[in-house]
Amino acid sequence: MHTFKIIFILSTFVSSLLFGNSSYSQAIKEKKIYPMGKLIHTKHCAALDAKKYGNYDVLLRDIQEKHICSKLSAKHSEALAIYLWDKKNSVEDIPKITVTKEDKCPVCGMYLHYYPNWVARITYSKEEVYSFDGIKDMLKFYFNNEKGIKSVWVQDYYTLRTLDAKKAFYVIGSDVLGPMGNELIAFATLKSAKNFSLEHKGKKVFPFNKLTEKMVRSIE
Amino acid sequence: MIELLNVSKEYEGGVKALDGITLSFGEGEVVVLKGMSGSGKSSMLSLIAGLSKPTEGEVIVDTKHISKLADHFATGFRRENIGMIFQKYNLIADLSVKENILLPLVPLNLKGGELEKRLSKELKQFNLLDKKDTQVKKLSGGEQQRCAIARANINNPKIILADEPTANLDEKLSLEFIESLREMKSEKRTIIISTHDPLFFDLDFVDRVIEVRHGKVL
Amino acid sequence: MNRFINFYLLSYSVGSLKREKYKNIFVFLVMSLLVALLASTFFLSNAMKSEYNTLIDTYPDIVLQNQKAGVNSTIASSIADKVLLLDGVQNSEARVYGSYYFNRADRKLNIVGINMFAPSLSPFINILMKKYSLDDGQMLVSRGAKALLSKYYYKEYFNFVKSDGSLKKMQIVGTFQENNKLPQPNTLVMLKSDARKIFDYKEGEARDIAIDVANADEVAFIARKIEQLYPSMKVILKEDLRVKYENIYNLRSGFFLTIFIIAFFTFFIIIYDKLSGLNSEKRREIGVLKAIGWRVGDVLNAKLYEGAILSLSAYLTGIFLAFVYVYLLDAPLLKNIFLNNYNLLKNYTINFSVDYETLALLFFLSVPIYIAATVIPSWKIATLDADEVMR
Repeated sequence: MHTFKIIFILSTFVSSLLFGNSSYSQAIKEKKIYPMGKLIHTKHCAALDAKKYGNYDVLLRDIQEKHICSKLSAKHSEALAIYLWDKKNSVEDIPKITVTKEDKCPVCGMYLHYYPNWVARITYSKEEVYSFDGIKDMLKFYFNNEKGIKSVWVQDYYTLRTLDAKKAFYVIGSDVLGPMGNELIAFATLKSAKNFSLEHKGKKVFPFNKLTEKMVRSIE
Repeated sequence: MIELLNVSKEYEGGVKALDGITLSFGEGEVVVLKGMSGSGKSSMLSLIAGLSKPTEGEVIVDTKHISKLADHFATGFRRENIGMIFQKYNLIADLSVKENILLPLVPLNLKGGELEKRLSKELKQFNLLDKKDTQVKKLSGGEQQRCAIARANINNPKIILADEPTANLDEKLSLEFIESLREMKSEKRTIIISTHDPLFFDLDFVDRVIEVRHGKVL
Repeated sequence: MNRFINFYLLSYSVGSLKREKYKNIFVFLVMSLLVALLASTFFLSNAMKSEYNTLIDTYPDIVLQNQKAGVNSTIASSIADKVLLLDGVQNSEARVYGSYYFNRADRKLNIVGINMFAPSLSPFINILMKKYSLDDGQMLVSRGAKALLSKYYYKEYFNFVKSDGSLKKMQIVGTFQENNKLPQPNTLVMLKSDARKIFDYKEGEARDIAIDVANADEVAFIARKIEQLYPSMKVILKEDLRVKYENIYNLRSGFFLTIFIIAFFTFFIIIYDKLSGLNSEKRREIGVLKAIGWRVGDVLNAKLYEGAILSLSAYLTGIFLAFVYVYLLDAPLLKNIFLNNYNLLKNYTINFSVDYETLALLFFLSVPIYIAATVIPSWKIATLDADEVMR
């Protein structure tokens, strides 16, 4: 039991060395540090590629002392380093879901461009793409047409970022209504889903794999 | 051509202008209706023209029962078949001679310069070419008279109705008018003139003189 | 064309109009002016509405202000970071900005403070800072500000007088062009640290906190949360501002109402005159027309043409005048009436746009009504027996 604890503590310590920037919460990083780092990167050294670096501290040192990206203050250097390091291996941001003026929800027939924040999408192939005016309608379709689905996308309620639906978390029974009335609200993290549920009187929080067709019908 | 069958016309206030009149007129006939003012002859012309409807009886013109026609159709009939000359001419004073003469044809929207053709014919026939753009109110009595006749003529009517045409004219102009009538007779129109002017009672080209008194024919 | 418009009838109608030349010219002028007045008012008001809407779009969703004794006071910059942690908040900024009175020129200079690389909540600033960099003691000036400062011989720098009487020298390192997203004239952009020194703000003080929320549906909820977190502070919502200014330009406001009432009554007088029947001469004329073979429909057609020619030409003239007045001449007088009381927009030039709704509204309010007023009295006469009319 004790060894387990020690190993656990050691590994968190080691990982904090590897990811030496974990003194900032993820929220602050997303909202403040990454945008700042991105601005600096785009403006002064768009060519700088962090993949060449195996170590965060070396990257930070190069930025701060060797001025590989013009002369920056300590705060700015750190922001740039964190941004480059964290984003080094991550894939590009999933593009935002957009709809045209003609797009309609196949389940209820409503025009989607009035509710861009609520659009959910199922893709079968490059040509066969369906967009819905809410996760409820999307799931109604999903449970009856699961064959051949390539990807399913939803939007995070708080940030409006596009999420892989299968990795997201859903709040049912909240007081926030979508274009089709009661809805499932999607979140990137369990934490934000739970916070939302508390604040907006949500009844339950589920990951994608726990959702059932019966559940969806009961939301009406 | 024209038939009145037991026609009566009563106006508001109980005035009975015509009382059970039965008359007929043939094609090409020139008839003078003789009688004092208020004897009913103007009413008769009005009925024949389809301008009003009889209180009793029927009016048939060219086989059409115009006393039964709705105003829309009666007017349509009138513009095809009847030319009217009024006592006071009833020309539109501020309009020119030309504009007055072609007034009956305006709603017909004739194509291909047809209207202009007919206009020239009338202007020539009644000697008004040089006055065609003059305002009618600036014309002499005789010129106005000729203008009124030209207007009645322009739609090539089968029937010409003249209501006291010489009441406001001196003898010279009256005689000129009678000459114009003679010309129209040669065009084979049926002409009915209501008048109390004695000049008309003894004309060679008049076929009949009918006396009307208090709404009845004598 | 000949099938639809009877040109002979048309020329008769024109002749009828000419016969009452002076009266009809008067009606034409009055109608044109009414249409021009109303159209100008509508055009201007709609143009300004869309302008301020564009401007308000650039505002932050929520602004948090501190108040002491009912007056705005400084706020702690650290609140921006605390607010940023709230779910749903996308960006927050402790803003440092304000006006500096340049006494020799008797003008206010508007100062906007920025932090390098921190995305501002003002789109204008973001675009500007993509091009430039600022260091301590440096500032960017708008074209208008540059001209103003140069006039007083400040070509490369400017000295601000601080509250303790000492001077702060700021170098001018660039000039930028104003546009309708930056409504303040004479704007200077500098680092927040410099702006604080000029305004005598302590480090860690700001004028207000600007907050952007990603999902518009959450704004009201987040605003309430913030109110609960900081109950002594004032929370201003962008959408509330929009509604406030909406009401200002709302057509119910006094100025509009006055214009409409005047226009309505004037038009009413014209229509009343037309409707009050025809004189004996006109009645006789209609009787004559009936007698010589004009049907009721023909008489009405002629009247229709008559009314249409007058009202359509008056309408088109009025619209044309309104276009010229508003878009070419920039609406002198009228514009000042709008802007003086509600000066959200100071640098305002009117952009051309075709306001179909106004055009349609004014058309249907004027042309059909005038035509009806012309036709209806004649209708009554034309349906009578013609010979009664002529007697």
